[in-house]
Amino acid sequence: MVTKTEETQLNRLESQVDNGGGGAWEYLCLVRKLKVRRSDKVLKHGLSILNDSKKRSSLGPEEWTLYEQVAIAAMDCHSLDVAKDCVNVLQKKFPESKRVGRLEAMLLEAKGSWGQAEKAYSSLLEDNPFDQVVHKRRVALAKAQGNLSGAIEWLNKYLETFMADHDAWRELAEIYVSLQMYKQAAFCYEELILSQPTVPLYHLSYADVLYTLGGLENLMTAKKYYSSTIELTGGKNTRALFGICLCTSAIAQLSKGRNKEDKDSPDLQSLATAALEKEYKQRASGKLSVLTSAFKSLKVSS
Amino acid sequence: MGGVGGELRYEISQNAYIKLVLHSLKHKTSSVNGVLLGRSSDDVVQIIDSVPLFHNHLGLLPPLEISLIMIEEHFAAQGLGIVGYFHANERSDDLELGNVAKNIGDHIYRYFTQAAILLLDNKRLEALPKGKDRLPVLQLYTRDASKNWKLAGSDGGCRLITKEPAANAVLLDYISSKKWEDVVDFDDHLDDITKDWLNPELFK
Repeated sequence: MVTKTEETQLNRLESQVDNGGGGAWEYLCLVRKLKVRRSDKVLKHGLSILNDSKKRSSLGPEEWTLYEQVAIAAMDCHSLDVAKDCVNVLQKKFPESKRVGRLEAMLLEAKGSWGQAEKAYSSLLEDNPFDQVVHKRRVALAKAQGNLSGAIEWLNKYLETFMADHDAWRELAEIYVSLQMYKQAAFCYEELILSQPTVPLYHLSYADVLYTLGGLENLMTAKKYYSSTIELTGGKNTRALFGICLCTSAIAQLSKGRNKEDKDSPDLQSLATAALEKEYKQRASGKLSVLTSAFKSLKVSS
Repeated sequence: MGGVGGELRYEISQNAYIKLVLHSLKHKTSSVNGVLLGRSSDDVVQIIDSVPLFHNHLGLLPPLEISLIMIEEHFAAQGLGIVGYFHANERSDDLELGNVAKNIGDHIYRYFTQAAILLLDNKRLEALPKGKDRLPVLQLYTRDASKNWKLAGSDGGCRLITKEPAANAVLLDYISSKKWEDVVDFDDHLDDITKDWLNPELFK
């Protein structure tokens, strides 16, 4: 996961390199550090370094890291010839390497040779059952073949051992949401909130899932988690503010005629609508009238 | 009568069509969706505009509900309503209409019984530069009498066409100039409300 500051920095560097202002190596290192997926740019700028013998030798031992990074980016862009070339270079340099073996297996996966890739990954895992990257490639393999239940099975097994892998929990939650298995997705977000209670994204996603599940209890819990998201983000999260409005409206509909159990409901909701109106007035005034009409439809007003 | 049956045709404007395809090209590694805006007349449903919606967590309700309310409010002023739904699957060879798409389609159908679901056909999109395909690279689904979403087959008629016959040529042009980078969807708007999901500058 990347913060807004990190993303802005990365984008600035990216357009600098794109426009010929240099800094390609810095950009490639930042992409590696932040673990973002910008394969077409990595391929383009990485190759420009690798194909220039002077630039390449000035990298020293980092040259091999770049070959690996470009190989993977090439596979992601389906430039399999480029990927094969990079892997060959690494094979020559590190003939017995398991790390290179992993890249060879990934090449099989990129080619769509599912059976061979599966065999290669399994054999790598026999030698090293704690290779997290290979475990996750196996999940990706299942996903690529459209075998989502297989992907879920592998991912759950993986998480039994590596339960601190937050990205894996998020991936699992996303797969569950795509299959409309909301209860299971909720469980994933609960795990994430337990281990990292101050990350607002987890609170927000959890609230979204609860709202989607529906029912009075879930809606009221969703409202609490939209509130905690707002708290954790200093009131700046548009999605959470909208979430409060949606919950208020849905809860009101479900509890028609019954006593309102939520005593702070009117205050919270009017704060949310006021905050949204202020934001839109300042930064998206063209949409303000649409926003106000939307509030009317939801029957929430500040 | 219109409604269900083989007579109803759909005509999508070039801009509405291109916007949706470009959106899916911007987010190649995820599924994306969008809504179709338009009106019906006689035996034709005119899809006049489209709004790209999401590229993350398509199965979650809150962002969808907010987007539909705001989009409806905006287009009602122009006499246009939500007439359908667009979906592009995550995997390029996946031509199955999934449950998330069907559920959203069902919801739209409740308010507009001639609603269509359009599903991106990646194979035909990839083949565009080589052939002279003048039909939109989309599959058309409509609700049949047993409430199922049925694929409109190539049974003689072209039920979905682009209003402008050269739409695919224009699309290819935009693709080669990487125009998809400029497409804004509702997800982008929720992350930064200064981004406009109407994409007013996209085709200028």
